[in-house]
Amino acid sequence: MSVPIELRDVSHFYSPGTAMQVAAIKNISLTIEEGEFVGIIGHTGSGKSTLISHFNGLLKPSKGTVLVDGEDISQSKEVLRAARFKVGLCFQYPEAQLFEETVAKDIAFGPKNMKLPEDEIARRVAEAAKYVGLRPEMLDKSPFDLSGGEKRRAAIAGVMAMEPKVLVLDEPAAGLDPRGKKEIHELIRNYRSRTGSTVVLVSHSMEDIANLADRVIVMNHGEIAMNGTVDEVFSHASDLQTMGLNVPEITRVFTALHDKGFDVPPNIYSVKEGVRILRALLEGGVG
Amino acid sequence: MVKDITFGQYYPSKSALHNMDARMKLVLTFAMIVCIFLCHNFFSLGVMALFTVIAVIFSRVPVKMLLKSIKPVLVILIFTAVLNIFYTKGGETYFTLFNKISITEKGVNTAVFTMIRIVVLVVLSSLLTYTTTPTMLTDALERLLSPLKVFHIKVHTLAMMMTLALRFIPTLIEEIDRIMNAQKARGADLETGGLIKRAKALIPIFIPLMVSSFRRAYELAFAMTCRCYTGGDGRTRMKQMKLGYRDFIALLICLISLAGIIVLNRFFIKII
Repeated sequence: MSVPIELRDVSHFYSPGTAMQVAAIKNISLTIEEGEFVGIIGHTGSGKSTLISHFNGLLKPSKGTVLVDGEDISQSKEVLRAARFKVGLCFQYPEAQLFEETVAKDIAFGPKNMKLPEDEIARRVAEAAKYVGLRPEMLDKSPFDLSGGEKRRAAIAGVMAMEPKVLVLDEPAAGLDPRGKKEIHELIRNYRSRTGSTVVLVSHSMEDIANLADRVIVMNHGEIAMNGTVDEVFSHASDLQTMGLNVPEITRVFTALHDKGFDVPPNIYSVKEGVRILRALLEGGVG
Repeated sequence: MVKDITFGQYYPSKSALHNMDARMKLVLTFAMIVCIFLCHNFFSLGVMALFTVIAVIFSRVPVKMLLKSIKPVLVILIFTAVLNIFYTKGGETYFTLFNKISITEKGVNTAVFTMIRIVVLVVLSSLLTYTTTPTMLTDALERLLSPLKVFHIKVHTLAMMMTLALRFIPTLIEEIDRIMNAQKARGADLETGGLIKRAKALIPIFIPLMVSSFRRAYELAFAMTCRCYTGGDGRTRMKQMKLGYRDFIALLICLISLAGIIVLNRFFIKII
């Protein structure tokens, strides 16, 4: 089985050759394994979006190679085009991409570009709509008549309908209210458990990543600062804070307790877990 | 990519030309462009060329930047020169081919003359945009056109619309970039196919662009209304335009050039 995405020593410069040359990402090497749920975090301007634009060849690396399914995507137009469909990229505020007369037609835009037969397109549209929780009667509406959250979900469905091997989502819940955010996270989780596909989630919220991802890649100033399981990364809470990232409240409480000498692990990131440990601690009669 | 399109090629500096009143700059540039067409021989055109060189020196805009602005008209330049060389007849014949194609004195003169004329024209007009920000220009235009108010033309509103349009060009370019990437990620093919196919491929880009532009326009109008914007009536300015000594010196230089052109036109033979 080949690795879905592999980056080898990739750098990307903006305005190359001029005085304003800026390295957006520097010497990035990483692999995304089959079936993984990877979270990418970093503060604004840390190179997250530049990084994911390399996954499907929207940006060409200034240096290094990008392999999708084991093939170098810069070798030919065909491989690049195939990579576009293997890696489904959903940008921030994806509702800006809606343009068709009906929601169904808009979701079908990707599959149509893949030149799939009509019945297969119809199946995929229905499936993707189900994943994102759009009711069938909504499919005949104009996408511009939907509410903000529904638009967002319709746009995500447009990427899911391509049935990519890897689904990459850039801040899919940005600008939504807590309920909308929860819905989006729920649908990502659902999608993954039903299709078993690989998912990459970009966010600057540690809490979201912690709740969803298996592995976390932390970006800082265009470089990979940390790369490991959620537990590993969260045990460096103070480092994360110096990188301008918000550690979940509960983690901060536990780090402080740990530093004060209490016998608790510092890398707790869910309230449920925290309560369990505190209760055990109290019953154990410490303090 | 799309971002590379430069617009309103302002070159920030603090030169004498930058500090001039935009109204005076606009009027004088216009007047001097008319002057280019008053020149009838190389001597008077020489005055214009000299004027342009002096203006460039005072603007402190690098020559490289000016060459960049000539580049787009290079084709026109060569085209008119070639046409003039072969199609204008008169005077001494330098060269004849097959008894048909010939190069004459007049042909060469006209070709060189028109070329200098076009270069001076382009350099002068780009100097204006290099030394004046688009906002300053529209402001100046508003002031200069304000007498039209007599005819119930809303000069202020027009100027405000122009300023806003200019302001939103970079924003829209960014927006196009974003939408293009989003559609490309869904497999939109913008690069291949015939004319009709390519035009069709633009639909997924322009519809979202339209939608967001309308939304932006509404939001902007709303924000302006919230800050009590009611149009030009009774509106005062933060930056008052004032004519200074620089502007009068510039005016004087222009008048001297004009006098020189008229005199030289009289004393030497007309060649164009």
